[in-house]
Amino acid sequence: MAEQVALSRRRALFGAAGLAGAGVVAATAAGCSDDSSSATAAAPRGVVPFHGAQQAGITTDAQDRLAFAAFDVSAGVSRDQLRELLVGWTAAAARMAAGQAVADDAAAPHSPPRDTGEAIGLTAGNLTITFGVGPSLFDGRFGLAGRRPAALADIPPLPGDNLDPLRSRGDLCVQACADDPQVAFHAVRNLRRLAQGTAVLRWFQLGFGRTSTTSSGQDTPRNLMGFKDGTNNVKREDTASLDKHVWVGADGDQAWMRGGTYVVTRRIRMLLESWDRDFLLDQEQVFGRTKASGAPLGAAEEFDPVPLTAKGADGEPVIPADAHIRLAAASTNGGATILRRGYSYTDGVNQETGQLDAGLFFIAFQRDPRTGFLPIQRRLAASDALNEYIVHTSSAVFAIPPGVRDPKDFWASSLFTA
Amino acid sequence: MHIHFTDPEERRVGAHVRRAPVAYSAIAVVIATGAVACGGSDSGSSGGSGAAAGAKQTVNVTITSKACTPDVSTIPSGPTIFKVVNKGADAVTEAELVDGDTIIGEKENITPGLSGTFSLNVKAGKYQLYCPGADTEKVDFTVTQAAGSAPAATHSAEVTTALTTATTGYATYVRQQVADLVTSTGALVTAVKAGDLDRAATLYAAPRLAYERIEPVAESFGDLDPAIDARIDDAPDAASWTGFHRLEKAIFADRSLAGTGPIADKLNTDVGKLNTLVAKTTFQPAQIANGATTLLDEVGKTKITGEEERYSKLDLVDIQGNVEGANKAFTLLEPALKSLDPKLASTVRTRFTAMDKALAPYKEGTGYVSYDKVTQDQRRGLSQAVDALAEPLSQVAGVVVS
Repeated sequence: MAEQVALSRRRALFGAAGLAGAGVVAATAAGCSDDSSSATAAAPRGVVPFHGAQQAGITTDAQDRLAFAAFDVSAGVSRDQLRELLVGWTAAAARMAAGQAVADDAAAPHSPPRDTGEAIGLTAGNLTITFGVGPSLFDGRFGLAGRRPAALADIPPLPGDNLDPLRSRGDLCVQACADDPQVAFHAVRNLRRLAQGTAVLRWFQLGFGRTSTTSSGQDTPRNLMGFKDGTNNVKREDTASLDKHVWVGADGDQAWMRGGTYVVTRRIRMLLESWDRDFLLDQEQVFGRTKASGAPLGAAEEFDPVPLTAKGADGEPVIPADAHIRLAAASTNGGATILRRGYSYTDGVNQETGQLDAGLFFIAFQRDPRTGFLPIQRRLAASDALNEYIVHTSSAVFAIPPGVRDPKDFWASSLFTA
Repeated sequence: MHIHFTDPEERRVGAHVRRAPVAYSAIAVVIATGAVACGGSDSGSSGGSGAAAGAKQTVNVTITSKACTPDVSTIPSGPTIFKVVNKGADAVTEAELVDGDTIIGEKENITPGLSGTFSLNVKAGKYQLYCPGADTEKVDFTVTQAAGSAPAATHSAEVTTALTTATTGYATYVRQQVADLVTSTGALVTAVKAGDLDRAATLYAAPRLAYERIEPVAESFGDLDPAIDARIDDAPDAASWTGFHRLEKAIFADRSLAGTGPIADKLNTDVGKLNTLVAKTTFQPAQIANGATTLLDEVGKTKITGEEERYSKLDLVDIQGNVEGANKAFTLLEPALKSLDPKLASTVRTRFTAMDKALAPYKEGTGYVSYDKVTQDQRRGLSQAVDALAEPLSQVAGVVVS
């Protein structure tokens, strides 16, 4: 399969080496590889364009796998060095998104290969790499204090938070999504390597399954509680809603953010052992949906309107007052709407309790977290029935600058030049 | 780097735990990327690298209880696969290509009926195939210069001169450090054998510093490094555990020197062996550079975690030794590197300065604070400084290689 794809990474790494200068590394690879000639015919598959007015990985059909990293810029790094990092990162990201190695490694047996190599022979896997900057980048180290958008406010403490500071915040973020977990990991690992000495990895979260749909062509996946959540997400086909709720328009306070957006991430640990002991009817009332079909309680099909005002024979609302679906609905939040793009995660066993450390790595894009995520989460934190079964263990917000226009442009260039 | 090669647990599961030594010799290990990518059984030696164009030749090595026998005893230089087959020798489970006391390549854990391979880019010279445990442990193996393959000089005369100065300078440095090691170990051994716990505790740090500055050189001599520097985790059992850390436990944890006389004597002997060996060792520029990177890898692997000096808490002394040894190696290569790649030279220098700055807050008197006083956050900061330095440093070898 891999060898039919035009942009095979192995070819990108070794194909250019030629015979004369190939050395043993290339010779060995050629001796056992099977892609020497078949890798040229087909058009690239599974490649999401990297360049454009907006960054990929936001409205792109949600891929199956996530690797999300936050970085801190190292002490003593200058504004120029930061800019240089972003130029290098952007070039590497564009190559990886196209299914290529991070650099063309000529046969250099005495040097470490510039690409780490684990994606050789894999397809691009719809890889998207999305970049953002956190509030702390505007603290004065880089002369950017005046460039901080008002919307890039720190997320205040919220009821029910149990945040690990080492898993929260960050100067920079990189979200890599792909259909292959190794491709997503490879992207973050190589960007991290390029950053050595300029920025350090602050935290890193893998997600193994998408929990959201970002287009009407995708089925709604289930979260680890077994429910379809996020049925009523903003879809990429609904450009009017995207312009209204997701993309920063001309009215933003910082010109460099026009065409960008803001992301909020929350690592939400699910207390799955407790949840699995809850009886079905209660589980359904917690979410406000039927577990099997995903239909709202009191409705027949998943995509039926949520009957928020319907009452049962007992006079009580069919969708309970504290049901997750009710509290999260835009119509009960003054129209607040966010584009959710989260992933299920697990980090194995919580060694203190012996319980699973697993849940939802929540990711939401919006044009202003103060009118998007925050009012919704305040409401959920106050009265969501789900709170009995979840703990928020990390929190971060980043400004996602507009897209990289062309190969001469780089991530957040408008922050440095405009 | 610590060598775990005698751990029976790891042998049983067949894990490849023994990293091949940095090849301080005229031979480089072929990068195993290709072989690994297609499921080959190369031992994945990663200590050095080197290559020449052309197809690989194969040498078949048969292990029996009597000896290990190659199907040819002389081959031309170049990329070579050594295929090792064990025809029923229980006591012999590995084959090594050695140059005197230096392991060039090896395949371990080949129990009867199994086979395995290792790959090398072998340069001309006289070697031996070594199968520990066989009746005849070593057989001669000769590599002749392949026709038309003489390596051409690629550096300018100026750079070549600078690199020659670096290699002789590094040999001098290594000999000086080992001479200091012999002296300071002798003092420690005397105190241990006199039963003077407090004096032994005071004298423990000095030989550690000297050893850690040049540890990758010691690692190239097979069993010597584990004999001198194994942690208890590296020893097959507590009874056969020797070296500095065995004494460290007695001095700092047990607070009793009972029964340590033979350990002290053996340490003295082993350090003396090292002194004899380094007297005739020569170095290539790329080996010096790779050795510097290896020193920093050592810091990240066992020192930042506090495993290395778990009884004495002197991990920061070891870290200082590793960083100083790496800095010396780089400083010797720096004049040549400034001609070849000034940007890389400047980056590495800047990162060494940052590394020294990161260590500075922990200095106390003539040494360092006890490592248990260094918090988790501080340890992470030190580790990040090491990574920031080691990444560009790892690129130096490919530039100075001749």
